[in-house]
Amino acid sequence: MEIGRTLWLDLTLAGLITGGMYALVAVGLNLQYGLMRVMNIAHGEFLMVGAYLAYWAYTLTGVSPLLTLPAVFVALFLIGLLVFRLCFRRIARASPSVEVLEARSLLVGFGLMFLIQNGAYLAWGADLRGYEYLARPVEIAGARFGANRLVVFAFAVGVSLVLLALLRFTLFGKAVRAMMQSPRGAQLVGIDVGLLHPVVFGVGLALAGVAGALLSMIYEISPAMGEPYTVTALIVITLGGLGSAPGSLLGGLLLGLVETYGTHVSNPSMKMLLSYGVFVLVLILRPRGLFAR
Amino acid sequence: MSAARAVVATGAAALVLAAAPWLLSDFLLSLTVACLMYAGLAVSWAMFSGPTHYLSLATAAFFGLGAYVTAWGVATLPWALCVAGGGLVAAVFAALVGAAVLHLRGAYFAVLTFGLGELVRHAITYFEKSYFRTVGRVLTKTPDATTVYLTVLGVAAAAVAVAAVVRASRLGLALRGIGGDEERAQTLGVSTRRMKIAGFALSAFFAGAMGAAVAVRWTYIDPPAVFNPFIGLQTVLIAMVGGAATLGGPLASAVVFSLFTEFLRLRFPYAFLLVLGTLLIVLVLYLPGGLASLVERRRPAAAAGGAARGAGGPTRG
Amino acid sequence: MADVLLAARGVSVRFGGLIAVDGVDLEVSERELIGIIGPNGAGKTTLFHTLSGLVRPTAGRLSVRGRDLTGRPPHVFAAHGVARTFQTPRVFREMTAEANVRFGLEFAGRRRAHPHDAFDDARSILAFLGLAEVASVPAGALTPARQRLLEIGMAFGARPDVLLLDEVAAGLTERELETTAQLIRRVRDELGVAVVWIEHAVRALMGVVERVLVLHQGRKIADGSPALVARDRAVTEAYLGGEEPPA
Repeated sequence: MEIGRTLWLDLTLAGLITGGMYALVAVGLNLQYGLMRVMNIAHGEFLMVGAYLAYWAYTLTGVSPLLTLPAVFVALFLIGLLVFRLCFRRIARASPSVEVLEARSLLVGFGLMFLIQNGAYLAWGADLRGYEYLARPVEIAGARFGANRLVVFAFAVGVSLVLLALLRFTLFGKAVRAMMQSPRGAQLVGIDVGLLHPVVFGVGLALAGVAGALLSMIYEISPAMGEPYTVTALIVITLGGLGSAPGSLLGGLLLGLVETYGTHVSNPSMKMLLSYGVFVLVLILRPRGLFAR
Repeated sequence: MSAARAVVATGAAALVLAAAPWLLSDFLLSLTVACLMYAGLAVSWAMFSGPTHYLSLATAAFFGLGAYVTAWGVATLPWALCVAGGGLVAAVFAALVGAAVLHLRGAYFAVLTFGLGELVRHAITYFEKSYFRTVGRVLTKTPDATTVYLTVLGVAAAAVAVAAVVRASRLGLALRGIGGDEERAQTLGVSTRRMKIAGFALSAFFAGAMGAAVAVRWTYIDPPAVFNPFIGLQTVLIAMVGGAATLGGPLASAVVFSLFTEFLRLRFPYAFLLVLGTLLIVLVLYLPGGLASLVERRRPAAAAGGAARGAGGPTRG
Repeated sequence: MADVLLAARGVSVRFGGLIAVDGVDLEVSERELIGIIGPNGAGKTTLFHTLSGLVRPTAGRLSVRGRDLTGRPPHVFAAHGVARTFQTPRVFREMTAEANVRFGLEFAGRRRAHPHDAFDDARSILAFLGLAEVASVPAGALTPARQRLLEIGMAFGARPDVLLLDEVAAGLTERELETTAQLIRRVRDELGVAVVWIEHAVRALMGVVERVLVLHQGRKIADGSPALVARDRAVTEAYLGGEEPPA
């Protein structure tokens, strides 16, 4: 019984951590796509960049990754502004229709993915890297977890909740939500699209970077680590409903749990199959998302 | 150029190129195979994604599936069956996937097809490990280089010919309508679901057949080698540069890019992918219609104004 | 008694909390010329969406020539003879005018009978609409007025029994309105196609159609001859908050 419970708790925590990462990445992508119809297929790559930033910060200076989190956020935010300015703004302006905008930003994202990933390979090599941080086990309810895992989970959920609060209660957040519901109406009320878009894009990337930094605390990192997260983020967005940040949070956690339990029962290689299966099911049964009214 | 003329021209070109094994050195022959492979992949990609503007990033998945059909079958099945089988497996897979996801918005479709490569790779890795207790395979009893060359040539020529025929056919018209305004096409009698699945499967067939044909160039195959997202990038890039709406565009740029690739890939594996990625970005930003659009600007252009929605796409202005 | 071509019984459409169409009954018989009017937001276009299969009604049934087609996709409706135009012309901008018309002929119109030789091929359809000289021009390059006509031409390509016209007169001058009205009459008189016409330019519509339906907030509030409907108190009230009352 003791062993069974430990396993159960272990899996649940692992699932929630994974889910928390999915949620962070998905919320960013949700904001970007829901607002601007820009599907940044390179989104996962920025997670990877965040992971490496935290890694280098810790390895070179010994500063706790928890403290570098804000720095990673800011760094990725600025990178996001730059990427938007260089790559996506022109497309947004020059596209004759939404479909064209989507298609072109996809292609740009595709190219960006190769650019960033291979840049990382060139700069940092293909080897897996990792570091030890807060790896001491901690006991909760008779089960032992690495302290770092607990911390990561807490931070993932915490950041998501902060974001949700921002979206709900601040003027900026309301502007974002207004724009997502009615772009034209929001503009008429004076919300500055030219400012909002790059900022939201930047925040999206920053969230991915934070997720990466958190991940670096518990897993090994490599230039290819980000790729699976983009697809999964899309699946989470579908689960939670496009445009719904709370939906992405819940959907992400849910998917993380399903994956962890599912691969434990079957096989780690089944992870993607499981995610796709969930995706297709949701599409068929609840295409507007699990939580749509 | 009418479909009939295009098919004849393709046949003639194929006949000429068929002499290559007896005229070219091994090195040049290998280079030609690479060119033909990319040409075939690009043309088959453009067959569906060109007119419909549904960006498919599944080429790597189809290619890999075909390669594995060869990996599993080349020692026991006749060569022609391997190649055709590779195409068929890819086509069936595409039809199934298409039935599930082709009704989605373009962005969802693209990201999902992108994930397919990873999905199939994992599935095959698992399958190989569980049932065959192996990670990779050594290919034995493979056909000689001349046969391989002629097969690749055949698949590429078939892809071009079929693409020409489709363009002139009802399917091609339906696909263009879907790309122009999908709902409108529906109200005019097009069963868009069926047409999209058909187009997608057809394009997958050639990618799969090509994968099957080319797989024997490796003596040792494992999933990461054949499920290589680079194939997808190269294919999309080629079609973009050439202009996915034309027939000749992808062909011409395939030659240029495969030469470029073969010379650089082995020496600078990461740097050259970085360059290609950057190139794609620059292209999409500044020349979305590909080089072909530069040619088109000399002809009278369609007016850009008007309120009609749904025009344009990844390759047309 | 003429055949009933298109019938909607108790059709309702809800979008979340909004009721766009509320229990509407409509019957279109052969060679009828029907108008649909109503203030903005009355649900007219949404009704068209259900009649052409683009939107599945949340309640009610739709039948074409007695066949229940509720919930079937749009191409099935088109194959059974229901063709439509859209408020803003949705032409295939990159294709020539002729290719646009040919599109319908290749698909919905393929196996449908065409009693009038105006429906023979793309050329004859374009000629009927006065677009013969722009046959080779890309649709995106046509003037808006011509694009409107091309919209109708595309619908003709489907060789319909019923033509649903959605506000073809928007933004037209008085003269152009007159021409359009005449054209619509010709469609019914010469080609034998039943027409259902949504229009805001109520005066022009009332002068042409034989029967008028009035929709208000999703519900049908009147259905009769133009003269009767013009005198209907409910109709006048509905319009008091909106645009011009029918006269």
